[in-house]
Amino acid sequence: MIMNVFKNLYDYRELLKTSVKKEVRSKYKNSFLGVLWSFLNPLLQIIVYAIIFSLILKNKQDNYAIFLCAGLIPWTYFSISINKSAFTIIENGNIIKKVYFPREIIPISVVTAETINFLISTLIILGFVIFGGIGISKYILYYPLVLIAQYLVILAISFIISSICVYFRDLQHFIGIILQLLFYATPIVYSQDSIPPEYQWILKYNPMTYIVNAYRNIFYYKTAIDLKSIILLIIIAIGGCVCGYWIFSKLQKGFAEQL
Amino acid sequence: MENYAICVKDVYKNFNVYLDKSNTIKEKILFLSRNKKEKREVLKGINLKIKQGEAVALIGTNGSGKSTLLKLMTKILYPNSGVIRINGKLTSLLELGAGFHPDFSGRENIYFNASIFGLTKKQIDAKLEDIIEFSELEEYIDNPVRTYSSGMFMRLAFAVAINVNADILLVDEILSVGDEHFQNKCIKKMLELRDKGKTMVFVTHSMDSVRKLCSRAVWLCDGQIRIDGNTNEVINKYVEETK
Repeated sequence: MIMNVFKNLYDYRELLKTSVKKEVRSKYKNSFLGVLWSFLNPLLQIIVYAIIFSLILKNKQDNYAIFLCAGLIPWTYFSISINKSAFTIIENGNIIKKVYFPREIIPISVVTAETINFLISTLIILGFVIFGGIGISKYILYYPLVLIAQYLVILAISFIISSICVYFRDLQHFIGIILQLLFYATPIVYSQDSIPPEYQWILKYNPMTYIVNAYRNIFYYKTAIDLKSIILLIIIAIGGCVCGYWIFSKLQKGFAEQL
Repeated sequence: MENYAICVKDVYKNFNVYLDKSNTIKEKILFLSRNKKEKREVLKGINLKIKQGEAVALIGTNGSGKSTLLKLMTKILYPNSGVIRINGKLTSLLELGAGFHPDFSGRENIYFNASIFGLTKKQIDAKLEDIIEFSELEEYIDNPVRTYSSGMFMRLAFAVAINVNADILLVDEILSVGDEHFQNKCIKKMLELRDKGKTMVFVTHSMDSVRKLCSRAVWLCDGQIRIDGNTNEVINKYVEETK
């Protein structure tokens, strides 16, 4: 059964490749500055948040812009992927109604395309730490591991959201709100230890907390990551992907009729 | 079992036809009573076995369930009950040019379209010349598809689909592609594929092409198989009755 899933995907690898390429390219195709937006967008966002939180709200974190950037960019990767997943099946409705291909290609290519965008954006983090005087440490070797954890978390959620949204279109709007809440429930603009102990549980049950903390350890604090939680997260995320895939494969049978 | 390419067993398919479809939760809750749906039985217990290398035509009036049956075979739709088993790689030409992107060139669209049919880059590279030649679009192949006439568009789409190396080919009412010259070419190509031992299922209203291509015809009527047998016999009865 599991071998079949992978074999099917392998047979359609060309489609996966072209879909990812199209997804990445289409993002900037019609804009004048093109790929530059990959850099400008997060950069402007960081500047806005840095002004609000360090100048207006007087946050005392050293190098706040770098602190922010190490959390905000991975978050953007997460939130854009989830947001896009909510719409992607409906947007591809036309082709789903006309041709057979493994439907899971759609969420997978959305998440993978965003991963490529994230890899590009990582250059911004690197730029910040190099030119901000923090520098790069050997702990950057943990980066791929954290990325894998994040990819799997996003993929698991993407399978579920993309398929359920076909049946309940309202969910698309909820997702925007939930993501906004989750943004503040993740230590992005603040650090985890600045939160009073009675609220720590919120962060504890949020997978993005571990991921943002890990990136921040790598780039900002230059320390080892919490390896145990990341590996645990990977295991949970793999379980999540299996469940997510199962839900997706059940729901995809009705896609052509619902769209 | 093994020598059957397609095995359809006791298949039922219903569609829910929403008279006033509410997609949002708000509407679903507010207008519970309005959520009227009509169950429409499109297929009622279809049993059909198609041998490898057989060319079968599905005929019947509009709304008899022919296209639905094809969509079930290609796994765009799934049956409410019953089983469909497919033996071999299946390609369906339900609608030509699905997934064509108007801003990309003909060549790029060949790659994209063929990849939807599950071909790898290498396989497409090998087929590229054949596809371009078959479509007769040599000089226009690098122009964006949106500049094509509808005939050119259809020719390209058909050329891609017919050159996908599938064991089973499902074709829905697309034999009316292009001018007579191109139609004849398509029929010739399909005959060639049939002689190579490919399995084919056609849905069409053109009885002439059925006679040319198929040895067996299945007459669907109101979601059930009316007659299944030799092409000429079935067509004669069909034509007589629907006159």
